[in-house]
Amino acid sequence: MHGTATASQVILGLSPLVVSLTVFVLTYAAIVTEKINRSIVALLGAGLMIFSGVLNQSEAVAGIDFNTISLLTGMMVLVAITQKSGVFQYVAIVVAKWVKAEPWGLLVMLSVITAVFSALLDNVTTVLLIVPVALLITDSLRVSAYPYLFSIIFASNIGGTSTLIGDPPNIMIGSAVGLTFTDFVVNLGPIAAIVFALTLIPLYLIWGRKMRATPEDRAQVMAFNAEEAITDTRLLKQSLTVIGLVIAGFVMAHHIGQEPGTIAMFGAAFLLLLRALGKDAEEQSHETHRTWGEVEWVTIFFFVGLFVVVAGVEKAGALDLLAGKLLEWTGGDFPTTAITILWASAIFSAVVDNIPFVATMIPVIQKMGAVFSPEQLSTLWWSLALGACLGGNGSLVGASANLVVAGFAERAGQPIRFLPFMLLAFPLMLASIAVSSVYLYLRYL
Amino acid sequence: MTIRSIPCFPPSIELRLESSLLDALKLMLEKHINHLPLCDENGRFTGIVSTQSILSELIPVSARMEHGLADLKFAGDATRLLCSHLHGLEHRTVGELAEKHMPVLDEDCPLLEAALLLSQNTSPLPVIGKDGRLRGMLSRRTLLAYIVQQAGV
Repeated sequence: MHGTATASQVILGLSPLVVSLTVFVLTYAAIVTEKINRSIVALLGAGLMIFSGVLNQSEAVAGIDFNTISLLTGMMVLVAITQKSGVFQYVAIVVAKWVKAEPWGLLVMLSVITAVFSALLDNVTTVLLIVPVALLITDSLRVSAYPYLFSIIFASNIGGTSTLIGDPPNIMIGSAVGLTFTDFVVNLGPIAAIVFALTLIPLYLIWGRKMRATPEDRAQVMAFNAEEAITDTRLLKQSLTVIGLVIAGFVMAHHIGQEPGTIAMFGAAFLLLLRALGKDAEEQSHETHRTWGEVEWVTIFFFVGLFVVVAGVEKAGALDLLAGKLLEWTGGDFPTTAITILWASAIFSAVVDNIPFVATMIPVIQKMGAVFSPEQLSTLWWSLALGACLGGNGSLVGASANLVVAGFAERAGQPIRFLPFMLLAFPLMLASIAVSSVYLYLRYL
Repeated sequence: MTIRSIPCFPPSIELRLESSLLDALKLMLEKHINHLPLCDENGRFTGIVSTQSILSELIPVSARMEHGLADLKFAGDATRLLCSHLHGLEHRTVGELAEKHMPVLDEDCPLLEAALLLSQNTSPLPVIGKDGRLRGMLSRRTLLAYIVQQAGV
């Protein structure tokens, strides 16, 4: 049963606004401190929203965006299967050989493939697959891995900005608002490409122009045999075909009247079927178990809990208040609101997880629909997406992929320290937001 | 019956934890051994270094790490890379790779207990005297040779 929570339904007769905001603030504070796994915190917060009477169970379930959940889960299954084929290593070696293993060309090409893969797959998976090859190549060339790892971080966040499925904030925004895969590519693709190209300039000035490798070391990389990286040709064909069809499905989703979540889940089920064909029951069971085991359930249940927590504060009217306050600050001026959302999202996302921020901002911006036209509202979505995705470059904790790369760097004996990274990354991130402001201004404002 | 009467491989007197890894490797190759026991200036056990741990240092770190490359077939023989990593060992110390926390055998350890511990470990185990000094290393091969001799087979 859906309805407004009244004071009598809420525990001890307290105000739903006070209770929901308390749960919300406690949940976010616990997420920020990272003392307890974020999925546990989010689910506890969700439970408190229900037990305290702010939401009932059916309202909580209705608050979960299952399109986002299925899109994330489906893509995770597809990637878990595909990565076993060695295709990502194959591509990395091929591009390294294209540029004749020349260090700067290699940095550019590894960044390009990271950006492209991040646009089509999740960023964490992309860097998990690209970084080990990058480390092997830099090891063979006897050049420092740091510039490569730095640019891989930037490329993954910039690439992820450009599509509906590239980064969780975009998945959430696209799903909540009904923006299509094509909408994202058309509106965010150009600015992502511009920011990517511009980011390479300071990287060249700082590192690129000094990069050198001996002809002998380059010859060693040129001797790599890309075909040997492919571990299973049949798996490669199957998984690339299904991923290709799923991406085509995303592009067509609007026209065929389907949601991306359904397409990703169906694709995942279809690829699981292809992998199961011709295997006996025990083998099928083993392989299917293994694949499902590779889904990042921590992320999935973090989303589930967070959606319920945000549904709680939304129902209690807190987000109406926040939307009202935001409009009050910006004076209801559309360009000021768009630029404020862009910069606030970027700075916020640089220091804390952008997922809870975006989950909260989506209903806030939806409520601004009362003041702004639908076209203006869509510009606000691009502001939010650009800020939240590019903001992730601002610090090591800005995005999960950054931490994964830092983990690899640590294990490789070339650690990326928090402050030195931020000293370069934060100004570069601010520059990318300045460029995005100009883009938004010229295109939409 | 204890292991006191079994001859064990003596500890290195030339090498300390501060010695270069390359020197340790050369010594092991020269003596045809895979595990080199180490002790401090007072003769106390400080750890063992093995050819296995040195070999794994020659492998690119990208293949050794968690979530790293699963195979390196595509990289060819990469002799140059292996040689470059080998040269790097000259500036690294034995202490960086030495296994310091492992089961040790008391020189009065009963034969059966020693057999059990050696069957559970892949490397030879250090034998420590009552005075706390390292007597040497006892390998599975030495222990088996002793049992064969006792059995008269």
